[in-house]
Amino acid sequence: MKDQIKWEKDLKPGISRARAENKPILLFFHNPN
Amino acid sequence: MDAVTYPNPTVIEFIQKYMVPVQVSYNSQPLATDFNIRWTPTLITLDSDGREHHRTVGFLSPQELVPSQMLGMAKCHFDLERFDEAVSILEKLLAEYPKSDSTPEAIYLRGVSRYKKTGDAKPLKEAYVQLQKDYPASEWTKRASPYKLL
Repeated sequence: MKDQIKWEKDLKPGISRARAENKPILLFFHNPN
Repeated sequence: MDAVTYPNPTVIEFIQKYMVPVQVSYNSQPLATDFNIRWTPTLITLDSDGREHHRTVGFLSPQELVPSQMLGMAKCHFDLERFDEAVSILEKLLAEYPKSDSTPEAIYLRGVSRYKKTGDAKPLKEAYVQLQKDYPASEWTKRASPYKLL
């Protein structure tokens, strides 16, 4: 399978992961249509 | 962005290594209201507590997304008064992406970060001199113009 970005789908799990990994967050708002 | 930028191997490697990526729809609530989203794509760099430090609106190519996010990471450190970490990321940005759209602001912020760290005004003037030489038309050169008097 081709490499791809493993996006979180909500900010709360993103913050939990960011704190655990001591990383900043890239929050991407897009139009899926 | 989904078709061009995010499949790029350099972008994938950078984001997976240095950031936690979160993708949501422009109308996802309460986030769309909390972050005042009016257009897409909107990319926001947050610290690990969810506070905003950097935002871009509109398409970014693979060659621009990485330096833009490096600038966002540096702003996180700067805002939290971690000036050594900010300078370190900005030096990397300037070395790896010397021609990016984020570069003039990075030169400016590096000068300010060095000043905030040491209290020595010399880095501010150095930032202006470099901006005037390499990016005379940049808005960041105008913003740094008072430092020529230092």
